[in-house]
Amino acid sequence: MQTAAQIPHDVNYLDYKGKYKGIFAWIFSTDHKRIALLYMFSMMTLFLVGVALGLAMKLELIAPGRTIMGPQSYNAVFTVHGVIMIFMIVIPGLPAVFGNFMLPIMIGAKDVAFPKLNLLSWWIYVLGAFLVIASVLFGNGIPDTGWTFYAPYSFKTGTNLLPAIFGAFVLGFSSILTGLNFIVTIHRMRAPGMTWFKMPLFPWSLYGTAWIQLLATPVVGITLVLVALERIFGIGVFDPALGGDPVLYQHLFWIYSHPAVYVMILPAMGAISEIIPTFSQKHIFGYKAIIASTLAIAFVGYFVWGHHMFTSGMSGTAQYTFSILTFIVAIPSAIKVFNWISTMHKGSINPEIPFLWAVTFIFVFMIGGFSGLVLGALATNVYVHDTAFVVAHFHFIVFGGVGFAFFGAIHYWYPKMFGRMYDKAWAKMGWAFFTVGFLTLYSPMFYLGMMGMPRRYYDYLPEFHAANILSSLGSWVMAFGLVIVIINLFRSAKNGPIAEINPWHGKTLEWTVPSPPPVENFDEIPVYGEKDGPYNY
Amino acid sequence: MENATQHSDPHYDQEASKLGMWLFIFTELLLFGGLFLVYSIYRFLNPEAFRLAGEELNLTIGAINTVILLVSSMTIAMSTSSLQKKNKGLTIFLLEVTIMLALIFLINKYFEWGVKFEHGIWPGSQHLVNEMSKGEILFFGLYFVMTGLHALHIIVGMIIIIVALNKVQKGIVNENRPSLLENAGLYWHLVDLIWIFLFPLFYLIH
Amino acid sequence: MGISFVFLIGLTFTMLYFIYKYNRKKNPVATQIEGSTKLEIIWTVIPTLLVLVMFYYGWAGWVPMRNAPKDSFNIQVTGRMWNYTFQYENGKTTDTLFVPMNKAVKLKLISMDVIHGFYIPAFRIKEDVVPGREKSAWFIAQQEGLFELFCSEYCGLDHSYMYTYVKAMPEQKFNAWYVDTTKHVDAAVVDSPTANGKRIMKNIGCFACHTVDGNKLVGPSFKGIYGHKVTVTTGGNDREVTVDDEYIKKSIYDPNADIVKGYNKGLMQPYVGQLSEDDIKQITEYLKTLK
Ligand code: HEA
Ligand code: HEA
Ligand code: HEC
Ligand code: CUA
Ligand SMILES: [Cu+2]
Repeated sequence: MQTAAQIPHDVNYLDYKGKYKGIFAWIFSTDHKRIALLYMFSMMTLFLVGVALGLAMKLELIAPGRTIMGPQSYNAVFTVHGVIMIFMIVIPGLPAVFGNFMLPIMIGAKDVAFPKLNLLSWWIYVLGAFLVIASVLFGNGIPDTGWTFYAPYSFKTGTNLLPAIFGAFVLGFSSILTGLNFIVTIHRMRAPGMTWFKMPLFPWSLYGTAWIQLLATPVVGITLVLVALERIFGIGVFDPALGGDPVLYQHLFWIYSHPAVYVMILPAMGAISEIIPTFSQKHIFGYKAIIASTLAIAFVGYFVWGHHMFTSGMSGTAQYTFSILTFIVAIPSAIKVFNWISTMHKGSINPEIPFLWAVTFIFVFMIGGFSGLVLGALATNVYVHDTAFVVAHFHFIVFGGVGFAFFGAIHYWYPKMFGRMYDKAWAKMGWAFFTVGFLTLYSPMFYLGMMGMPRRYYDYLPEFHAANILSSLGSWVMAFGLVIVIINLFRSAKNGPIAEINPWHGKTLEWTVPSPPPVENFDEIPVYGEKDGPYNY
Repeated sequence: MENATQHSDPHYDQEASKLGMWLFIFTELLLFGGLFLVYSIYRFLNPEAFRLAGEELNLTIGAINTVILLVSSMTIAMSTSSLQKKNKGLTIFLLEVTIMLALIFLINKYFEWGVKFEHGIWPGSQHLVNEMSKGEILFFGLYFVMTGLHALHIIVGMIIIIVALNKVQKGIVNENRPSLLENAGLYWHLVDLIWIFLFPLFYLIH
Repeated sequence: MGISFVFLIGLTFTMLYFIYKYNRKKNPVATQIEGSTKLEIIWTVIPTLLVLVMFYYGWAGWVPMRNAPKDSFNIQVTGRMWNYTFQYENGKTTDTLFVPMNKAVKLKLISMDVIHGFYIPAFRIKEDVVPGREKSAWFIAQQEGLFELFCSEYCGLDHSYMYTYVKAMPEQKFNAWYVDTTKHVDAAVVDSPTANGKRIMKNIGCFACHTVDGNKLVGPSFKGIYGHKVTVTTGGNDREVTVDDEYIKKSIYDPNADIVKGYNKGLMQPYVGQLSEDDIKQITEYLKTLK
């Protein structure tokens, strides 16, 4: 680590030459901005693998019977798809990439509280990813349990599950450490004068997220360890043959994994709460209400895990308690949606690319959320549980929500991160294809679920054929849109026109530093005065 | 964890590393919390079997180990305060004592487990599966997992203390920068605390 | 759930309208509004009431799904990888679920190995079948016909093929079928002494894991099995055995004692109580013919 005096302040973080050279200058860097890009590139790679697997599934499902693979491969494909997407992309996604990059700048700090720990988290993340990949490449068979690793199937299957389980465990560890880092950073390193209620909303959402990561991840950690031990030694805790209870596994799993879905969505909502006011050129509507709803989601989110288990055998009281809490947790989300829309009211809207993504986010998030309500109601849940309806719900909300927010965020902060601007016409076209493809891909799944097609089905009866064709077609349109978006972003990083410091006329602190930001962000730590605020237009 | 406290950058912030450590300890507690939850559920479902199986554990070794850990907690706390009093020699001595005690704890554990193995009791063993009731299988399954995980924490704790000891010797950790030692102490108290829960659960409640 | 659609459409249009109306070109200077406590309260309270209403309907629709009437017709359902079998109180066993119309049918759900999901879309019932627990579900068939019955909880390789049908018949027809206690076996024409064995195996689902043509699925193929030598692992030690009547019986009643090399323990479950000694004899006869 260099001392402050040695670091030149006028060099931006991309060009800066430190102790190490070449690739080592990146993978040993403790600069939060470089770590963010490390995360971004590792995730991009994994993400493309996940997308490819998703497309493969849709191709398989285009017709009943065998199309391109057998049932064993199909089961492996959706398992690896789920594990990659959930544990490696959407849970760490926004916090690790944009959180790392923007959090210190937005609160006026030079770095996170523990830069080395931050780098360590990335290394742990890579280790976890490698473990999962090892389980695919080596051993006798690719894991085929689904991303939920349900007992007792998870210790009956003959496939190479152990590395994948340890991988998920290790990834959880990485996410705990990142969360810890963010909490300490936010507590200790806000710029002078930036009180809690002057902090922008994206850091606020990261704060809520970090607490969930910290509180929920250990539980799934120990659960996964138990499954692994069960597989190796047969300790019996989840094995009915030895007296254990497989339903207990589900409880422990969902105690983590439900809060985990809010780990995914909160930062996404945070990013949206930055984009909307900037492009409306207007103070965010109901700043405190949004903060309150963030914390409310984080808190209530702990008590609704049972809604994944309405059919697995719980007492009646437990069932309706979980159902009612599930409905309650929808309220804060509703508050956010209302506030976003009201922010646009009487604003001066500049419908640039990030704003388009943000608006589509609101749209698909509403669809996903309403389907969540259908799932939360007892009678309807029993009918559509474990069908394609659930698959549609979570693609709409996980990847409709998080994915659209991610693309919104990347188009929003791109000029800051790389100092260049992308080609707007291409970006718009990518967005259009993507949106259309998305809707064609997943909407038919709602219908399929209502007709009774169960999920994780390699093969299906002929009556489900038509909707599946439509959905597969949609997947290609969307992939086409994705390719456009990614190529555009890649090309522009080198060749795009130089970006201004503040192309969107935002008011948060990251728009006050040069693009790309210098190594330690600020020459002098900014001071927030009485009248300053993140949204004072 | 270690990195959390070791980093020697110019913005040395004692408060921050303490906060970080507390948060980390919090997650550790939750980790074991999950196990305690599993334990209590199964105990509730199989009260009789758990009682029977609990009687097979050696109360004496358990009690001795409890005392050992309590004393070691005390010695590490004393080492922190002697560092503040700038008594480097005493600090180092107390840390060494702590490590010794931890080692004795592990040796005891080794013998305790050894006896179980001799009786044919280990997770998934033929004896366990064929001759014991389901509740007893669960009891021993949890016994090995929880005490094993705890032993793992003891080992990690020892490594941290050794690192701290080393840095005290080199003077990197001193009365002005005591974070690492303090955090090692905190961690050790956590390990101790968990044992205080494990001991009655497995050995005492009948 | 109509409320949801109203909201979706309503809010989307409001949003689009705002985007159009307050476009930069039309409205170059934004009016700064920081929030309104009154509005916040309104849009917290109204959705709360709405979701409570939704909860109520969900709950009210669900309560009657819990308890079966006392006089229901009882059937036991056994799920295993990857098929269901149905046992009636008079001992009849089938692989399709036969039920009388307009009569409550109560199903006792038992799993032999992993969790399955018992799902009949037409009657809107779904209940997980959990090993080590006894669960139940019930329904009334109000229409005559053939309805799909799926396994909805992922359970491994052939999860998507773990489906069968429910056949609902008018009560008299059902009764006629029901009292015909000559077991499933006798329904077929006995064309050879080994046909029975094959039929039993088909009904109980051995072919989900085993083939007769030498291909390996989850378990070893039965081709040429009788009289062959196989290497098995018994309690951690390898040994060689010849497949004979005794071994086959043991493989079925206690499959996890000897594990064929290259296969996994715990997949095949003991069939004690489901196959009689006589059944096994017939199976063995059939296996002998697979050269
Ligand atoms: C980002 C992730 C994410 C998010 C945010 C959510 C949000 C919600 N989810 Fe979802 N869910 C998943 C990811 C997510 N979910 C995943 C991955 C699964 C499947 C796991 C698996 O089995 O593999 C799942 C499964 C799942 C189930 C279990 C289905 C089953 O297997 O049977 C249920 C059941 O209740 C549910 C409910 C909800 C609800 C009520 C919300 C609410 O939070 C939604 C709130 C939002 C709104 C309501 C819309 C916005 C509001 C308005 C526009 C205002 C108007 C509103 C009102 C009038 C109320 N989800
Ligand atoms: C984030 C989560 C995510 C994402 C993005 C996707 C993307 C896709 N998914 Fe899905 N999927 C899951 C999570 C996700 N999936 C999960 C958890 C399951 C359940 C597994 C199980 O049952 O165990 C599942 C299951 C699942 C099934 C059901 C399997 C079954 O039940 O039989 C199908 C079927 O077609 C499918 C299809 C697809 C397709 C075609 C794509 C893609 O090809 C679509 C292309 C995507 C894009 C074009 C861009 C989206 C952008 C982002 C998310 C942000 C990018 C972030 C970074 C780059 C850091 N997926
Ligand atoms: C869930 C899958 C599954 C089902 C269903 C199943 N088996 Fe098996 N079977 C296996 C596996 C795996 C093995 C190899 C491991 C072992 O020996 O237990 C095996 C082994 C055997 C063997 C020993 C084979 C040899 O080559 O030595 C016989 C005989 C056998 N099964 C008969 C049956 C019969 C009869 C049925 C139906 C009543 C049946 N199995 C149903 C999975 C299954
Ligand atoms: Cu049985 Cu799926
Ligand atoms: Cu949930």
